[in-house]
Amino acid sequence: MWHRERIPLLLAFVQSVLVVGWCFTEMEAGPGAAMSTQTNGDRFKIEGRAIVPGVKTQDWVSTARVLVDGEEHVGFLRTDGSFAVNDVPSGSYVVEVVTPTYRFDPVRVDITSKGKMRYARLVNYIKTSEVIRQPYPLQIRSSGPHSYFMKRETWGWTDFLMNPMVMMMVLPLLIIVLLPKVVNTNDPEMRKEMEQSMNMLNPNPELPDVSELMTKLFSGSKGSSKAGSSSKGTRPAAKRR
Amino acid sequence: AAMAKLILLWLKCVILYNAVGAVFEDQVGKFDWRQQYVGKVRFSHFDTHVQSSKKVLVATENNVFAALNTRTGELFWRHVDKSGPEGNIDALLHHGQDAILVVGNGRLLRSWDVNVGGLNWEIVLDSGSFQKACLVGQQGTVKNVAVLKKNIISLHYLSNGHQKWIENLPESETVDYQTVYSGGNGEVYALGIVPHSHVVIIAYSTDDGEIIKQISVEAPWLSNIVASCAVIGQGVLICVDSATPSLYMCDLHLDTHDLQMTQIPLQSLGLEVAPDFQPVLVSHQPNSAHQPLSEFFLQLGPDNFLLLQLNNGQIVTLRDFKPVRNLFSILACPGIAVACSINLFSAETGRRLLDTTLIFVMDPNGGKPEKIYIQPFLKKDDSVGYRAMVQTEDHTLTFIQQPGRVMWTREEALSDVVTMEMVDLPLTGTQAELEGEFGKKADGLMSMVFKRLSSQLILLQAWIAHLWKLFYDARKPRSQVKNEVTIENLSRDEFNLQKMMVMVTASGKLFGIDSKTGSILWRHYLEDVPSNAAFKLMVQRTTAHFPHPPQCTLLIKDQDTGLTTLHVFNPIFGKKSHVNPPALPQPILQSFLLPLMDQDYAKVLLLVDDQYKVSAFPSTKNVLQQLQEMASSIFFYLVDSSQGRLSGYRLRTDLSTEQIWEVVIPMEIQRIVSVKGKRPNEHVHSQGRVMGDRSVLYKYLNPNLLAVVTESTDTHQERSFVGIILIDGVTGRIIHEAVQRKARGPVHVVHSENWVVYEYWSTKSRRNEFSVIELYEGMELYNSTVFSSLDRPHAPQVLQQSYIFPSAISTMEATLTEKGITSRHLLIGLPSGGILSLPKMFLDPRRPEIVSEQSREENLIPYAPELMIRTEWFINYNQSISRVRGIHTSPSGLESTCLVVAYGLDIYQTRVYPSKQFDVLKDDYDYMLISSVLLALFFATMISKRLAEVKLLNRAWR
Repeated sequence: MWHRERIPLLLAFVQSVLVVGWCFTEMEAGPGAAMSTQTNGDRFKIEGRAIVPGVKTQDWVSTARVLVDGEEHVGFLRTDGSFAVNDVPSGSYVVEVVTPTYRFDPVRVDITSKGKMRYARLVNYIKTSEVIRQPYPLQIRSSGPHSYFMKRETWGWTDFLMNPMVMMMVLPLLIIVLLPKVVNTNDPEMRKEMEQSMNMLNPNPELPDVSELMTKLFSGSKGSSKAGSSSKGTRPAAKRR
Repeated sequence: AAMAKLILLWLKCVILYNAVGAVFEDQVGKFDWRQQYVGKVRFSHFDTHVQSSKKVLVATENNVFAALNTRTGELFWRHVDKSGPEGNIDALLHHGQDAILVVGNGRLLRSWDVNVGGLNWEIVLDSGSFQKACLVGQQGTVKNVAVLKKNIISLHYLSNGHQKWIENLPESETVDYQTVYSGGNGEVYALGIVPHSHVVIIAYSTDDGEIIKQISVEAPWLSNIVASCAVIGQGVLICVDSATPSLYMCDLHLDTHDLQMTQIPLQSLGLEVAPDFQPVLVSHQPNSAHQPLSEFFLQLGPDNFLLLQLNNGQIVTLRDFKPVRNLFSILACPGIAVACSINLFSAETGRRLLDTTLIFVMDPNGGKPEKIYIQPFLKKDDSVGYRAMVQTEDHTLTFIQQPGRVMWTREEALSDVVTMEMVDLPLTGTQAELEGEFGKKADGLMSMVFKRLSSQLILLQAWIAHLWKLFYDARKPRSQVKNEVTIENLSRDEFNLQKMMVMVTASGKLFGIDSKTGSILWRHYLEDVPSNAAFKLMVQRTTAHFPHPPQCTLLIKDQDTGLTTLHVFNPIFGKKSHVNPPALPQPILQSFLLPLMDQDYAKVLLLVDDQYKVSAFPSTKNVLQQLQEMASSIFFYLVDSSQGRLSGYRLRTDLSTEQIWEVVIPMEIQRIVSVKGKRPNEHVHSQGRVMGDRSVLYKYLNPNLLAVVTESTDTHQERSFVGIILIDGVTGRIIHEAVQRKARGPVHVVHSENWVVYEYWSTKSRRNEFSVIELYEGMELYNSTVFSSLDRPHAPQVLQQSYIFPSAISTMEATLTEKGITSRHLLIGLPSGGILSLPKMFLDPRRPEIVSEQSREENLIPYAPELMIRTEWFINYNQSISRVRGIHTSPSGLESTCLVVAYGLDIYQTRVYPSKQFDVLKDDYDYMLISSVLLALFFATMISKRLAEVKLLNRAWR
């Protein structure tokens, strides 16, 4: 018995011990060591200008940065919105202007090994060879403020009334209230017609009513001893309603 | 059928849209907070060009340049440069509205507009290692900045950064040019030295860079100008020599070629140098357009400062400061004191100014003062007032106003959080009382009844007190009501949403932060922590074991020697525990917590030393006995990334170890970058996934699985690759191996449940890619009750899919909830400062390329190569976090809610609801609507009842 209890416990231990053992040596090999930058090669400059239409540059430049390939190279914006990222070796880069308030689309900039032919294009990660030329020096125009927030569902009468559930409730109610007024129930012909249509709806009059069926079902456990009299028992209940 | 498909599609869109959590605008600041830091201050200047300016400029060791508000300590603006030596700030010069920075070992020269926080200009300087920069003035105005490098000197205009002139320094191979000086008279002096031989003085004309004169002065006793020389008064170079001991002087302006240094023995001034102390000279130049002051400081011993004055070629002692800590303004610390006093002295006379004493009360849990920055100002009655910013060893900035009122403190150590844990808060006294009632043994019916009654009474009392407090607070104006959190009134809330964040920083200062408000509840500075220490924080005992106090253990490991110390403390109060940790004479290789507990409910910490011997903490008899019983089932692994070796060990009953497996990854080809296990507190709720045809695909939930990431040593873009190996940590069995060709790191990995998600850089397509591996047992489970690594004959099915991610990432973590029912999200820290909450369902290798009926049934999203970044998914909206280094997730008492802390330069805390708040009423729940509807219905029934009665009555009368 004791053993039986112990085995799963043991296994549980095996499970957790390993997971807890988190190695100290792991810290030493940081991922940062992976990048190697050549220091002796020629370095170039990426220039451009960021524009937020209708907003003074002083209001947003202090929170903005230019990121080249993540945080590989960082540039800052001048008070007039222009920027230059210095010290960039030749290669292909994604240049992004980052602010917490305004959205800028990233641009890919290619610098040849001689640094002469630099051109900018829209970023396309799927078709990497596709080139849509952009002006250089870069002209990056903001496409508006970032939308960070979801809209709250607001409650209005129209929303409420147009809700399908409400529609489903209200329409039959209207029919129930309005139909007797429109149709004269005292007219014997009409009554006959209605009875006929009711019969059409309920083709087999022998079938018990749904509500009766339900009540039978629920009272069945109690009233099974008095089988047969169940229909009698439900009558008063129905009447009370 | 087409219609049905359309509806299905629409439904799915709705589901997707709903499944993704986002922030509503009115939730801003409700349960989230951000704290922004700058790092340890290296240079600081008060902005004095406008009298009413409230700015202090700081340049820090984290390559941050910022302006702080001197009234509140908050940031006006902050610029975060690239980390590492390329963004290193070498010098900060401040003139008027402009602040000039030399960045990246003299690579860049930048000028910032202090008011706006925007860049004026940035230029690239010629290569060469940076020595010194200074502002150059002419006729009372500062127009240029001079930059001295190893072999060149250049002058730039302050207005646009353009180079005015650049000159090669003569004989720069032999002469070590160390400093540059300008007295505002149209000349720039470059001072160089040939150690133990002579000093070279070159004067350049400010206008065209012409050498006006070039002198060399014999100084065989001098080895370093910066350390032992200073320029004072009207261009007099003064040096101190500890060997003779004496002061040497020479006038830079004299135009003779046989310039000599005049020696003034310190004995003639009646001074003595402390033994084994290198004296230091400090001068001060308040305005770079003018000469430096003719008064200067001479430090003769660790706490012996002298204020001297050069008067007509004669040196006069103005004042002798004996018990002194710091310079410029004097921070007097008598002995080992709790409080320091700051006094202001007149530099001209050396007299103490009246009423300028400022008492600085030191935090007993902080460090000693290191630097002081003074902001003097003239009061209305023309007396001198001042404010002081004190920087202490633990990177804290304290801003003090006379007579010692602390205006603000900034804990800059928090800019470098290394690791953290979230600890549950303790129960209140009454809650604990109730809990205790159930824990105790029953001692008779009557006493039990009485106990129950009394505890109920206590609860009632507490409730009434709470109501009274509510009532009392409601009468007070809103602004006065402050729910200040202190250690005393800390208690767990009903959903356990408020926790204690225990943060360990690189400087060795520990913090306890309330997760709800972000206020620092305790701090503890650990002295003598080595600068290259690695930390690991473990919760040994949680707050659940009242009356035993909670206990955390911090492992501090010197990465050079491997020697380790333990610091045991209470995570709620920050106090050092009475428990004495064992001394560890051997380097420690591995440490891990066992799920075993001693009789005081403390989890057992096992430490493996370099002899592969295991020691336990706590190591009571009880623990050792338990360990002996359990030894055969305790396995651990070691990683030696320098040798590329992974090895598994098993514990023997005598606490020695035996190796049971070893995997060697050839070092010539690839190296181990990281090893990731699963988190021990992770729960997985469902064992499998229900497929479209109602069968179940069971997950391969191996808790011992390790994800080993390797990178190729060859970094050529055609041949580099990233490998991932899934190894069972107990048996060493390789479960799966995947290689991503033409890819390189940095690789970020998240390993959880039955999946591993990793991100790498694809060198071929020059983009970031995500890849996900999921492991499944198949359609039936081998042993559904318990998992054992030793008994799992079938290899799991492996599914993998990759995606394009349109941004680089900084860090990545998965959400974690109490029971694991809630769907998972990945929290991705982006370099732009956002934290993206990406639903795991987008990273699902079963996403079909062609949509079928079954995949639709399963709610799988059709495969699309590119993952989207939607700003609505940013959990921190516009509160961007610079340089996110880690994201810590912690479950709360609510299954729907996961607590998230992101740390880097900033700290941000929030809650996320990956599957929306399904277990609590939403905070926009319309109480008004529901109650008005209920009321309306109630009245409607009343009225209709009445009407019906009237109608019945009428009918009866008819």
